Amino acid sequence: MSSLANQLVRAEKEEIARAIRTLLGRPLVSLHDDAAAFDLIRKRRQPLIQWFDYFCGWRLVVEPRQGYARLVKVRSEASATRPARRRRTTRAPFDRRRYTLLCLCAAELLTSPVTTIGMLAQRVVQAAAVEAGVPAFDPVRSEERAAFVDVLKQLEHYGAITAMDGATDSYLDDEDAKVLYRVDTTRVIRLLAAPVPPSRIAADEPMERVLGTLTSEPRYGGDEPTETQRNLWARHSLIRRLLDEPVVYRDELTPEQSAYAASLAGRQIIRRAAEEAGFVLEERAEGFLLIDADATATDTKFPDDGSHAKVAALLMLDLLVSAGPVRAARVDAEAAELLRRFPQWAKAYQSDGGGPRLAADALEVLELFGLARRTGDRVAALPAAARYRVDRGTAVQEDS
Amino acid sequence: MAEPPRVPPEMFRFATTDRADLNTAVLYAFGEAGERLETALTVEAVRERLRAVGWYAPVGEQELTATLRQLAGWGLLDVIFNHAGSFATAEEYERKNLQYALTRRGEAAFAGVQHATAVLASGGALQTAVLDAIAHRLKELESLLRDPDPGRNRRIFASLRELEGHLDGLRDNTRQFNGELQRLLRVEGSDLTTFHEVKGATVAYLQEFVSNLEQRGDTIAAALRAVAGHGVAVLHARALDGAGLPKMPGADHATPWLAARAARWEALCRWFAPEDGPDGRLGDGPEGRLGDGLGDGLGGGLDDGLGGGLVDGGLGDGGVPRIRRLHDVARRAIVSLLQVLDRITDSRRRSSSAAADFRTLARWFAGAPSEDDAHRLWDAAFGLGPARHAHLGHADAELIPAGVPWREAEPVEVSALLRSRGRTERMGRTGKVRDVVALRAERQERAGKERAELEAAWSALATAGATRLSQLGELDHDTFGRLLDLLGRALAELPDSTGFRRAVTSDGRVEIVLRAPEDGAVAVLRTSEGWFRGPDYLIDVRSPGLARPCPNGGAGGAPVYHERAAGE
Repeated sequence: MSSLANQLVRAEKEEIARAIRTLLGRPLVSLHDDAAAFDLIRKRRQPLIQWFDYFCGWRLVVEPRQGYARLVKVRSEASATRPARRRRTTRAPFDRRRYTLLCLCAAELLTSPVTTIGMLAQRVVQAAAVEAGVPAFDPVRSEERAAFVDVLKQLEHYGAITAMDGATDSYLDDEDAKVLYRVDTTRVIRLLAAPVPPSRIAADEPMERVLGTLTSEPRYGGDEPTETQRNLWARHSLIRRLLDEPVVYRDELTPEQSAYAASLAGRQIIRRAAEEAGFVLEERAEGFLLIDADATATDTKFPDDGSHAKVAALLMLDLLVSAGPVRAARVDAEAAELLRRFPQWAKAYQSDGGGPRLAADALEVLELFGLARRTGDRVAALPAAARYRVDRGTAVQEDS
Repeated sequence: MAEPPRVPPEMFRFATTDRADLNTAVLYAFGEAGERLETALTVEAVRERLRAVGWYAPVGEQELTATLRQLAGWGLLDVIFNHAGSFATAEEYERKNLQYALTRRGEAAFAGVQHATAVLASGGALQTAVLDAIAHRLKELESLLRDPDPGRNRRIFASLRELEGHLDGLRDNTRQFNGELQRLLRVEGSDLTTFHEVKGATVAYLQEFVSNLEQRGDTIAAALRAVAGHGVAVLHARALDGAGLPKMPGADHATPWLAARAARWEALCRWFAPEDGPDGRLGDGPEGRLGDGLGDGLGGGLDDGLGGGLVDGGLGDGGVPRIRRLHDVARRAIVSLLQVLDRITDSRRRSSSAAADFRTLARWFAGAPSEDDAHRLWDAAFGLGPARHAHLGHADAELIPAGVPWREAEPVEVSALLRSRGRTERMGRTGKVRDVVALRAERQERAGKERAELEAAWSALATAGATRLSQLGELDHDTFGRLLDLLGRALAELPDSTGFRRAVTSDGRVEIVLRAPEDGAVAVLRTSEGWFRGPDYLIDVRSPGLARPCPNGGAGGAPVYHERAAGE
């Protein structure tokens, strides 16, 4: 017989699960951006902080007054599939130029609590001029201004700056546009998540070393961990991957992670983590994945009709699962055939070279979701792709 | 305060034209000559002296003449015709005949330039030695005044001038120092350590200065009072006598001189002992206000940026000596300096390292070998990337045991429309709205079924009046569970005076009245799962709101279907 207390417990569990998934999907949740989500996190911050610390060793910072919650995600392996995206309809990923400007802006924003777009641009010009290896910033050129505006909009989105007067976009057309910003310097600093301050790493290190050093965490003991630290690392690194990646295959795990995943305690912990976060754990012979039924903790969905590439990806998957590894040319031909059969569909690809382009985009979608892999000339489905295979016989016959 | 002083027009024009350097050099040449008591110079002499003041660039005859003429035009130089010389030729006469000398205005301009450069070069200081010197001079004056001998007047004059000189020094230095202090509070040193050192040193210096300030101030105030006891007018009169001013017909030097002394005295009093004013304050004339003005300038200066250190002087500031306020200001400056120091050090330490972090990242981004590397760097350094997960799962995940390969497990249900080759529009429409009618119907059905089961159980238990437990005989397992629940509730209650225990289910729909058997009989109930043995209670189960299978009605209420009787 359910009582009020039981219902409260259930509601609390449900709220915590939702908050966890929200934070996984958006590591910085701001009051100005999503008041309801922030409110939920603020209300449940105590258990949330403990949850993230226990299961994956991530720090959750909730600033009730400043109006933001920041999950300091440290990834075990940096991925190129989650770029910063422009706050425009195209959602195109940032390029190196924009990343560079973002960092320069952040550095300059730390000096004063209030600034204008013109003053900031001027400071960035000066900063770019003295920084070795950084190309000069020239706000007279309109593409440079566009990059600058993208960067500022990103910072606005994070709540690091707030336009008190004027709109950032006006700078696109007019270099003399007047926009007044208030700067939240602590939030600017909070944007950085790397456990090792970048300025402590020698600047001339190669990129691979830099990435490794940036994310090394002292709490796991570095090169000579104790038994406890090794266990902790196995737990945290495994659950981090599970919480962030679409599929975790057993053969990609380190021996420690495999052992942990196979142990009784490990399985229980994984199960608990998934359940408390509101995921459904799918455990198969080849690996694990977490299902997020309401797609809160994901940036993109598959299968989905969000883009032509995604629809094509699903159809490609049928080929890959049934025909085994195929040559890239075969995939291209399949895409071309699709385009030929449906001339009214996917207009953007209905031109020369459209087949290979569609095939490449579709394959990218499959790779993002850990369903296919391209090695050299061959494209192969990965085990989890079988989840989406067509059950012969029950498939609905299309009517066109 | 009177209106600000007016500078005569064109007095400083010489310093702003494109020949400013030469103009200034020429003025310096005249100044130099004046110190050697040569007051008039010919063009030739000017040219010679230019070298002496450090002007080595060649100057043409014409250019120099033009400069001199220009300076004369601005009223800085006088042209004097020298008829006394001897000239051999007409040309020589024309050249040497003309001599130039500084006018009063020229002298003032020259002094202005000198003063300005001196102020630019000097640094302010708070000197305790000056305070001591003021005290000494005052004591000296006091002892001199005690001696009525007019021969002492010269010494009185000298002491008075020294005293005034020290006061000027104190005032200037304090003003300058305060200016520097305020600039220091505003400045943003780029080098943290230097910044730290400068401020640390300033704080130490201020503390040193403040330590004995009060005592020194009191000493001076006492000395002031002692001198004033002899009469300030007397003091000034004797000093005037000692000054031995030139007596020139038509010009009264004594009156302005005395007025200036009075103003200085007034300033001194304001600084150290304003309450002694009536004695020293001769200032009901305009001269008296001059002293005010000077003091106010300082007051405002100290006030600036220190949050109301010195209230604007004016005539209403009597009572508190400026030196006391200086004390306050200095102390407040120490506090605020220390605070600023802490804050700046703190914020700088934090944000400077964060800024360095961002700059380092900017370099890395700019030098990233590929876009993918940049994305990975973004991911590693900022960790703002979202998670990514599948959203389609099985209706019942438990059905497939863990450890089965994906290929053998049932595939998840992908919308058939999504596979209907390229028809995104239709997919878009159907994909977004989930059809919940079936789900809702299923839920309703399930709820209805549960309810029906429950009611069937109650009905089976409902008794027509009091019954022995043993009479229930055989029960199905669910109904037996309900019975146990009811018995438990009843037994948890205390029996009333007649030995009956009454209890109601939590939804209020079923009531049980129970009484322990007096004969100690034992009831045995059978269920499909086993049997139950217990005291053969006398029970009466009433469920007023339920349908009753037994036709002879219940004791509890009317047989109303699915509706609770009022009052139950």
